[in-house]
Amino acid sequence: MIPTARYELRMMLRKRSMWISMAIIVGLLSLTAFRQISDAVRDNDARGVMTTVALLVNIFLPVGYGSLLADRLVRDQLLGVAPILDATGGSALARLFGKYLGVCAAAAVPLATVYFGFAVVYTVVSGRPAGLAWALAAFAVVLLPAVLFVGAFALAVPLIMPASLFRVLFVGYWFWGNAITPATMPTLANSLVSPIGGYPLSALLGYRDTVSAGPTPGASLNFLRPQPTPATAWLSIAVLFALAALALYAAHAIRARTTR
Amino acid sequence: MRPLLLWRYEVRRAGWAAVLAPPLVAAIVVLLAVVDAADGADQRGTVIRNLFAALEMGLPLVAGIGAASLVGRDPAAELQLTVPTPYRATLLRRLAVVVGWTALVALLIAAVLLVIDGWADRPQAHGAVVGQLVWLAPTLWLAAVGFLAGAVFRGPAAAGGLVAVLWMIEQILTEAVQQHQWSRLLYLFATSQGTVPADWTGNRLTLVATAIVLGIAAWLLLGGTERLVRGEAG
Repeated sequence: MIPTARYELRMMLRKRSMWISMAIIVGLLSLTAFRQISDAVRDNDARGVMTTVALLVNIFLPVGYGSLLADRLVRDQLLGVAPILDATGGSALARLFGKYLGVCAAAAVPLATVYFGFAVVYTVVSGRPAGLAWALAAFAVVLLPAVLFVGAFALAVPLIMPASLFRVLFVGYWFWGNAITPATMPTLANSLVSPIGGYPLSALLGYRDTVSAGPTPGASLNFLRPQPTPATAWLSIAVLFALAALALYAAHAIRARTTR
Repeated sequence: MRPLLLWRYEVRRAGWAAVLAPPLVAAIVVLLAVVDAADGADQRGTVIRNLFAALEMGLPLVAGIGAASLVGRDPAAELQLTVPTPYRATLLRRLAVVVGWTALVALLIAAVLLVIDGWADRPQAHGAVVGQLVWLAPTLWLAAVGFLAGAVFRGPAAAGGLVAVLWMIEQILTEAVQQHQWSRLLYLFATSQGTVPADWTGNRLTLVATAIVLGIAAWLLLGGTERLVRGEAG
């Protein structure tokens, strides 16, 4: 498991295309929202700034790394190495889990580079080292669970549909299930199963800028939106992990059937 | 006859996912409108809003990711490079299949909007004739970006990711995009999300013009055949 994870991580980190596309995205974001970023790095509210940036990062970047990871499992079959790997001593489940950890770690590295890069700039400009502590906390309870959730589905779903169709549907789902205001139409946004991290942001990190979790008056699916409390925040993270585990198990079952 | 045969091959080669994606995305957006209407929302208004959303947001995303998936899919690109037809001409034909099929679905939605008098309902869409730029401009632009990104990265993974994040940035940072003239001109969702009214035509024409420039850049880049046999960048 560990060697597979290490190998997958190294393969991904050597992909220049990953770093170039990330640089283009950061450049475009800086160009478009230059004024907002300039204001943010001078803001004295370290917690407010780092939670807001965590939310923004978690809106934009998962569609990017989700698309990037979509071919990692099917790639073994396309390249014809899957049967060779299946003939090795390690169990298929351990190898799948190793690949999962490896690709998730690889997605987390550029994410951490961008997020902690901003945290360092903020700390230097505002002179508030608390920004780094808030960044660490937000990374652990908001960004990382999203990586683990997206990584599992990005590996599993392309086994049952072409990666390009998965990318289109995933981007549509991410926008609909995370960024739509619940009062506008039925959506999973602001709910326990929303991987954008509204519950941990609100209940664990005190994010208060806009409503990102909890019931919306008049909206449908409010039964999935309990009041944000530390307990519901941890429950939200646990639900995301459970769904990720389910997706990975499904991927293992599909692979076992197709390689039989 | 031979060119026709090549087109037939490319349409068949595109696969069921490419054929399914545009109508599927349009159907999902319409289904959301139906669910919303069942929830008590104004049925006609919601359907029209979502049909315009499918035209300006859904279908361009499909075309963009479809175009980003063209380079790096051939298991034996070396063989393609030995045949008399230049490989980049084959890729351009595949791009035309992706965009053409998306355009057909868009025209069908536009016709439905005409039947239910949806164009009159949205004056910001500039009527059923000029209003075809509602979908044409963002579709061409995202397809050109996807095609160029595919050519640069020589594979669909990072190229698809870039198209996806660009789409998401334009969806979320609406206010920030409106603050600068240059970003207003390159804004993909000027009809659905709004823009300075006088900028709409300029915005659509800028998107089409820049799409042509990006497409030419991709064409030139794909001329370097040695790059293509090296496989995905990285």
